[in-house]
Amino acid sequence: MNELQSLFRHRQLIAALTARDLKARYRGSILGFFWSLANPLLLLGVYTLVFTRFFPQQVVKPYPLFLFAGILPWTFFSAAVLESTSSISSNAGLIKKVMFPAEALPLVVVMSHLVHFALAIPILLVATAIFMLLGQATISATILLVPLVMLVQTLFVAGVALTVSSASVLFRDLRDIITNLMQLGFFITPIIYLIDKVDSRPLRALLRANPMTPFVIGYQHILFFGSLPSLSDTLLMLAYAFVSIATGFFVFDRLRDTLAEAI
Amino acid sequence: MSDPAIAIRNLSKSYRLLGTRSQFATLKSALLKRDLKIDAEKSVPALQDISFVVDRGEAFGIIGRNGSGKSTMLKIISGILKPTAGTVAVNGRVAALIELGAGFHPEITGRENIYINGIMLGLSRKEIDARFARIVEFAGIGEFLDQPVKTYSSGMYVRLGFAVAVHVDPDILLIDEVLSVGDEEFSQKCIAKIQEMKYRGVTLVFVTHQLDQVRNLCDRALWLDRGHAEAIGDPVRIVDAYLQKVSGTQTAAAPPASEADEEKKEEPAKSDEAPEEERWGSGEVILRRVALSDDHGRELVALGAGTAVTIEMDVEVRTPQDDFVFGIGIFHADGSCVYGTNTDLEGLVPRRLEKSGRVKFIMPSLDLVAGAYRIDAAVHTRNGRAFDYRRGCIRFVVGSRVHDTGVYRPQHTWEFEGGIEVSATDPLKKNVPAPIAEAIRETQSKKPGRR
Repeated sequence: MNELQSLFRHRQLIAALTARDLKARYRGSILGFFWSLANPLLLLGVYTLVFTRFFPQQVVKPYPLFLFAGILPWTFFSAAVLESTSSISSNAGLIKKVMFPAEALPLVVVMSHLVHFALAIPILLVATAIFMLLGQATISATILLVPLVMLVQTLFVAGVALTVSSASVLFRDLRDIITNLMQLGFFITPIIYLIDKVDSRPLRALLRANPMTPFVIGYQHILFFGSLPSLSDTLLMLAYAFVSIATGFFVFDRLRDTLAEAI
Repeated sequence: MSDPAIAIRNLSKSYRLLGTRSQFATLKSALLKRDLKIDAEKSVPALQDISFVVDRGEAFGIIGRNGSGKSTMLKIISGILKPTAGTVAVNGRVAALIELGAGFHPEITGRENIYINGIMLGLSRKEIDARFARIVEFAGIGEFLDQPVKTYSSGMYVRLGFAVAVHVDPDILLIDEVLSVGDEEFSQKCIAKIQEMKYRGVTLVFVTHQLDQVRNLCDRALWLDRGHAEAIGDPVRIVDAYLQKVSGTQTAAAPPASEADEEKKEEPAKSDEAPEEERWGSGEVILRRVALSDDHGRELVALGAGTAVTIEMDVEVRTPQDDFVFGIGIFHADGSCVYGTNTDLEGLVPRRLEKSGRVKFIMPSLDLVAGAYRIDAAVHTRNGRAFDYRRGCIRFVVGSRVHDTGVYRPQHTWEFEGGIEVSATDPLKKNVPAPIAEAIRETQSKKPGRR
């Protein structure tokens, strides 16, 4: 519980650093925040084109909205985890020269990607509204559950970020390993396809073992299908979040004392 | 509140040598044992078995050559690094000036950086609001406040960093060699600020190569040499011993301490009046006698404010010198320096110190407020290596009928114009602060010839 207390004490620091991060990132750029959307929108365009043109029979309709619901949480997860691998080494000055709570660094990364994610939601809503006008989509009250799922997912992402940020200081290869795993992870998470349409049993088992699967399916339920996530998915989300955050704090706490020296 | 500010016991720190073991092994070791070190022969000791205590309100200097472990010591006190063995106890809020502006982000404005830096140093937003104007004023960045920090000159950057750090109001301030950056004006301002903090009771720990700062600001000093505590104690003495070592003259001056002690014994008349004199130096030149006298050449121990006095030094030359400086310092009984100067500071170039002689330091009017004072006299080389340093070789008391306060009494008169009337009364009727009255009484009974 010490960790949670220290988090509470550092909440102002994390908030201030997140604001600084966002400000610094977009100051002097014309499109500003929209750059953070550029990559998911590009993915969206490419996959929509490929699937609606070449495999139209595979596709849930309207496909762009389905993709959108899965790509946003995936981008949040992968970008935050990837960036957190270098969050400590790129702030070596703070760790070595200032008394600084190192755990704030990966958490700041997670928070600023969470802000990007949250800012993308209105754009998803606009897209939904457009498809509603075309008579191809409906909007459901389950959308109100989005903040709850985001909260649970944030805990999950924060735990992974704490683990990989501290471990990658001592084990540099981790960053490259994670970069490649993320590429693979995109395809073994049911983002561009429906999990129900996967026929092969071992492949289905692999998808089920992926901790991001219940989250992505959860978002697709409440954003796209307008239904509640299944009980098993909900429990899995909570369990993953809990295990992840507990592991994250444990690993970080173990490695904390060695960070200043190992950077 | 008897806890010391900092207590270090049997502290050792070793650094791991990189690249000898696989990363996996280090990660495993760190996870299981919270330690990077795997085997002793693959590590370098940075500090070995060091113990010392810094009291609250004390100014403590750490000196030593590069690589002697000074910065490591400071980082361990600040909690950035963890000791390999031994314990560190720190009581109070710590601010460390290890690198000024280390937390600044170049893309955002000075204003925003002040807030973020303040939060990093442990302040709340409200506390920063309260200090904001003082920080900006101290940093003197003016219209650049709302510009991104990347547009700042390196001087402005450092000024802002220092301004934020000292306004955190720490109980303990750790300073690593940061006073040497910035221009002369700013380092004076920094030193003044640090003295103010010391006066308010902040505990200071300095790491510096500016030995003058250690001599002037510190109450005690630690000399580290290759990770060992070489000496600890009086800063002037430690700095001197360090300079002796660095200039490699230690063997030539092997018996300085005992020699100086003997000198003291040879002069029973002197040691009687200065029981607490401390003395050290390499002994090539000796201050055989140091005395305070009036303009008739009579020795004084008690005098009135505004008296004309001369400090006389009888100099005995044992080995002729080309590099020599005579210096004096006047200190208040509480240890604060009233005035200090030397022949080098005043532009007197040493030519030759061939034979014994006498040096006089003449003050037509010594305008001090009533109280007890002491004088340090020294002869040393221009880089500060002492031939003979006599701390507190003269102790004297200034008496006065007027019970004004402070240390310095400027020559003055009061004038009143218009409708303001005053009349004179006997100032002795008022209460004299007890310690000063006692000091005056004591010297009066010892030397009835008070003027």
